[in-house]
Amino acid sequence: MLRGPGATDISLTVNGEAVTVQVAPRRTLLDTLRETLGLTGTKKVCDEGTCGACTVLIDGRPVYACMTLAVTCEGKGVETIEGLAKDGELHPVQRAFIDEDAFQCGFCTPGQIMSIVALLRGTAAPTEDDVRRAVSGNLCRCGAYPNIVAAGVSAGRRKR
Amino acid sequence: MNAFSYARPRALADALRLLRNGAAALAGGTDLVGLMKDGLARPTALVDLTGIDGLRGWSRAKGRGLRIGALTPLVELETDETLAKTMPILGEALRDAATVQLRTMGTVGGNLLQRNRCWYFRDEGTPCWLKGGTRCFAVDGENRYHAIIGAHECVMVSPSDLVPALIAYDAEISLVSSRGQRQMKLAELFVAPRGRERREHALRPGELITEVRVPESALARRGTYLKAMDRKVFSFALVSVAASAKIERGAARDVRLILGGIAPVPWRVIAAEKGLEGSALDEAACVDAAGRVLSGATPLRDNAYKVTLARELVRRALRSLVA
Amino acid sequence: MPRVVKSREEFEGEIFESLVLVEGKDLPLPAAGAEFTEIGHGRRRVDGTQRVTGRARYTQDIYLPGMLHVRVLRSPYPRARVRRIDTKKAEALPGVRGVLHRFNAPKAAFRGEETIFREEVRFVGEEVAAVAADDEQIAVEALGLIEVDYELLPHVVDLEEAIGDVAPRLESDGNVSEGATHKRGDVKRALKEADHVVEATYRTSTQLHNSLETHGAVAAWDGEQLTVYESTQHVFGVRQGLRLALRLPLAKIRVICDYMGGGFGSKGGVGKYSIIASLFAMRLGRPIRCVLTREEENVAAGNRSATLQHMRLAGKDGRITAIEHTSWANVGQGKWVANPTGPTNTLYDVSNLSSKSYKVVTNAGSLSAFRAPGYVEGTFALESAIDELAATMGVDPITLRRKHAGSPKDPMVGKRYSDKHLLECYRIGAAEIGWQRRRSGGTRGSAPHRRRGIGMATQIWGGGGGPPAYATVHVNSDGTAVLTTGTQDIGTGTRTVLAQICADELGFELEDVHVRLGDTDNPYGPISAGSLTVASVGPAVRIAARDAREQLLGAAAGVLETPKSELRLASGVVVTKGARTPLSEILSKVDNNTVIGKGGRHPNDPDLSLRTFGAHFVELEVDVRTGEITVEHVVAVHDIGRILNPTTARSQVEGGVLQALGFALSEERFVDRATGRVMNANLENYKVPTVKDVPAKITVKFVDRPDRRANNLGVKGLGEPPIIPTAAAIANAVANATGARVRHAPLTRARVLEALAIAGARS
Repeated sequence: MLRGPGATDISLTVNGEAVTVQVAPRRTLLDTLRETLGLTGTKKVCDEGTCGACTVLIDGRPVYACMTLAVTCEGKGVETIEGLAKDGELHPVQRAFIDEDAFQCGFCTPGQIMSIVALLRGTAAPTEDDVRRAVSGNLCRCGAYPNIVAAGVSAGRRKR
Repeated sequence: MNAFSYARPRALADALRLLRNGAAALAGGTDLVGLMKDGLARPTALVDLTGIDGLRGWSRAKGRGLRIGALTPLVELETDETLAKTMPILGEALRDAATVQLRTMGTVGGNLLQRNRCWYFRDEGTPCWLKGGTRCFAVDGENRYHAIIGAHECVMVSPSDLVPALIAYDAEISLVSSRGQRQMKLAELFVAPRGRERREHALRPGELITEVRVPESALARRGTYLKAMDRKVFSFALVSVAASAKIERGAARDVRLILGGIAPVPWRVIAAEKGLEGSALDEAACVDAAGRVLSGATPLRDNAYKVTLARELVRRALRSLVA
Repeated sequence: MPRVVKSREEFEGEIFESLVLVEGKDLPLPAAGAEFTEIGHGRRRVDGTQRVTGRARYTQDIYLPGMLHVRVLRSPYPRARVRRIDTKKAEALPGVRGVLHRFNAPKAAFRGEETIFREEVRFVGEEVAAVAADDEQIAVEALGLIEVDYELLPHVVDLEEAIGDVAPRLESDGNVSEGATHKRGDVKRALKEADHVVEATYRTSTQLHNSLETHGAVAAWDGEQLTVYESTQHVFGVRQGLRLALRLPLAKIRVICDYMGGGFGSKGGVGKYSIIASLFAMRLGRPIRCVLTREEENVAAGNRSATLQHMRLAGKDGRITAIEHTSWANVGQGKWVANPTGPTNTLYDVSNLSSKSYKVVTNAGSLSAFRAPGYVEGTFALESAIDELAATMGVDPITLRRKHAGSPKDPMVGKRYSDKHLLECYRIGAAEIGWQRRRSGGTRGSAPHRRRGIGMATQIWGGGGGPPAYATVHVNSDGTAVLTTGTQDIGTGTRTVLAQICADELGFELEDVHVRLGDTDNPYGPISAGSLTVASVGPAVRIAARDAREQLLGAAAGVLETPKSELRLASGVVVTKGARTPLSEILSKVDNNTVIGKGGRHPNDPDLSLRTFGAHFVELEVDVRTGEITVEHVVAVHDIGRILNPTTARSQVEGGVLQALGFALSEERFVDRATGRVMNANLENYKVPTVKDVPAKITVKFVDRPDRRANNLGVKGLGEPPIIPTAAAIANAVANATGARVRHAPLTRARVLEALAIAGARS
């Protein structure tokens, strides 16, 4: 039952699609998504759980992919920014981010959006405070926070 | 990060068997993975505990207190509505602990055992005493976040938000290893590094925390957790205070006062607790108690502000018990 | 025919004169009252979909086939001589493809030095060697196998220690050298004759940019051409740096930056990582990725200098009669110094003034421009001191400022401002914050031990832009247009506002204009810095679009057999007296055509001084027992000429305010003096604001009047103005609330508690 230290096969679901990847146990989910699966929408900023840019959902809950070892995701469902738009139709949170001008450089944006997507699944019509709590682990250096909060609230409204 | 092998056993016995020869237990990974990335932990194998049944979730049997499984994610304690009524201090402490993502990943056991955040300790390039070096670099270096009391060779501070809150409710823990089980008061888990003890916890090699228990009697107390940070959130405490007491006919009984962020261990102020026994916790009594805590503090170059901060938080926490 | 003209531009507070190529005549400003379809209207960002879907490709996201990964070995010592390097073990590690260091790397000029690997390394984090390997993990392991023989040398990292007598001398002429100076009037005499003199020392800590995308480059060499993807604010600057380092002709170097994750001034040119990536790419014939880690970003990719500033102000008869400002800035190993006395020299019309700015070298990472370099630090000292003087004189801080802020002339150079509405900024801001509620000594806060206060501060900055900047507009046969220019969109919305300008001038729908930028194969575009992008590139885009429109109308005249003078283009439709014909229909009749319009930025009027002005007002509460500051309301009012896109403009002001909030309250680099190591080169202990640190309310106001003498759009820049005055406004509000003057930014709890203790002891 010991795997590694060399590469080992891991089966998981990424954005609804079953995939098997070969990764060493020391490889993070973030590097696996970006380098093995080519899903570069999830950003690497601090690589130590202090900024939120790599936020993805595992079984529907927001986590930092940089602090998650890929090998621990066996059998789990991972969702990334690339999985949100369906059939070319943007997710309501994505649309709200555009409408509210909720980004400047856009580098923290995928992580912010994933945090709010997770929030909306439990809280259909979040208040400003709910959104603030949900993204308080996502740093934005451009200072788009006021618009991010507005986008979270308006995405909740349009979902209803 | 060094190379290691990995296992995710389903049974506790299997996990304990695997935890030898330099293997480390992995729960949420929010601290361990960081230590490994920084080269401060180099386990030969990681034993992922999250597949083990029975170590997750909480329960409260009538009259037998609260039991919390060590693998319970922090987010579950924070958001549970029943628990919020049973022991509201948990939600208060956890809301300020890290972020939604880290609370989703992090577990109770991992939170208790997280290592300190001293920036010399965390810097791979600084051979500090706690890592086996010859001296503490913080004591005459950059020390605004460091200890003002209770430190010996190492001036790091206890980082957890959950721990002071639990100790304020007389929490106990169960430990297990391949050699058997033992129980201890949570407060006894923490040791101030000194002499040959270059460590922060009394955990033995191969040992795991399985659960945290809060005695029924303590659950009758009121409690509060206050935390001061350098920004409003997503920060370790500059100073934190957990206070609890049973209020009987306007008088405080079983007062507990534990400070975080100021000493290498959660800093319990027993003299102040005793002095407040039977007090109405009126403004004068709280001001008086706050003025006397930390009288033995020996601040470093940059952290005398913590004394002021700690005393004010103590006063506010005590006052809030009767508010 | 292009011709050469003299031009005079301001860049980050300094004036530069240059020769530029221009062609034809500049366009006149749009007529007053002209109606725009796009300009002046809030528009969604044209690249929004790419950014919210994760499809926007940043430098970090470029993965090329066969690519190798580079990691850099950095000095663990603040000052040491590299005597010997042994790479045998590292090279023997499977997967290692190459190692570069000072004994084997070709000479590659970098910022005035001959080599990127210096014999004497001068800060913890300076580049010593680099490894290219199959993956990053292998490269990291290889770094651990490189043996370096260092000879340790005495060092100094702290600004005030470096100024002192006992510090080691890092340069032959000492650690301190004189930067800008300015003198007017007779300061000595004014001080002697003053009724009130305020003298105080201010400090600002080192601020780290922490752009979320770290610096980095991906380089590919195909034997003929070097292509470098780089996260940069200036693709042409990177190309020039690579030309000097690699001695390749410009035509063989192409630099691309499509999307970039923030720069804030730090990504102004070539980096050692770009040169290292290129050298490996050319040596190994494989694409090379060299992207910094967060820690490397914070030790080796620049910072805002810490400063020590002495201010002396004299007041008499309700006026400021003299200002003396002396500044020392810790530039680390930087080769220049940002000028904190810039705002002092120009903001107020004060007759007697003396300022000096000193550069201090230390064994710490180099400064790089950081959003209004010098001005943020200097304005903190100047505007704090003005309030201290006002308090001493017993006059209202705005009343005192008004007496010196209305002059239509630049007091330093004596030229007229192209436009100035600073007094109006004061009026709007005072009304928005409710300045009449401000009481000397502050008011009670929302809870016991909380005090409430109001404060304000002023900003002056450049932002007038200038040449050179070029653009072309290609119109396709289906009536879509491609606007091409070499500028960058660093998150400011450049793509969007340029598309708006282009669409309006062409008479096209916004969605039919596509913007291509961030590529040295495009016409030259300037650095995206100094708040100059829109004011430099925008006018060129307008000329290019006008050129294209004239050609399109000429074509339409031919196809429709109607005189051109009777045609007009609107929303992609050619309108004649009797009919409306889609442009695409007209162009489809002309086989496979491309209409190309081109435009270049014309020079500024050399007799004018182009400046932006503004003022920030702050209301806050201070918990006097815990030192906690809660900023509740920030009012930001700016005079930056015409507003092109109110939506993105507002976002940029909010962003500037929040970055300033970090500088004011929580952001501060800590360096261990004994080891020279940066203790918080991370996002855990380097504390940038979170969403919860945002003030409850931020009010953004613009004067929004075209600066008719600035350029053909009447626009000026907005990148820097909103970060400049916030910290001083906060310090002034804290002083108003509590009577405690905190003279060191950031105003941490420790510093607030200390100032409160001093104020308490005094009263």
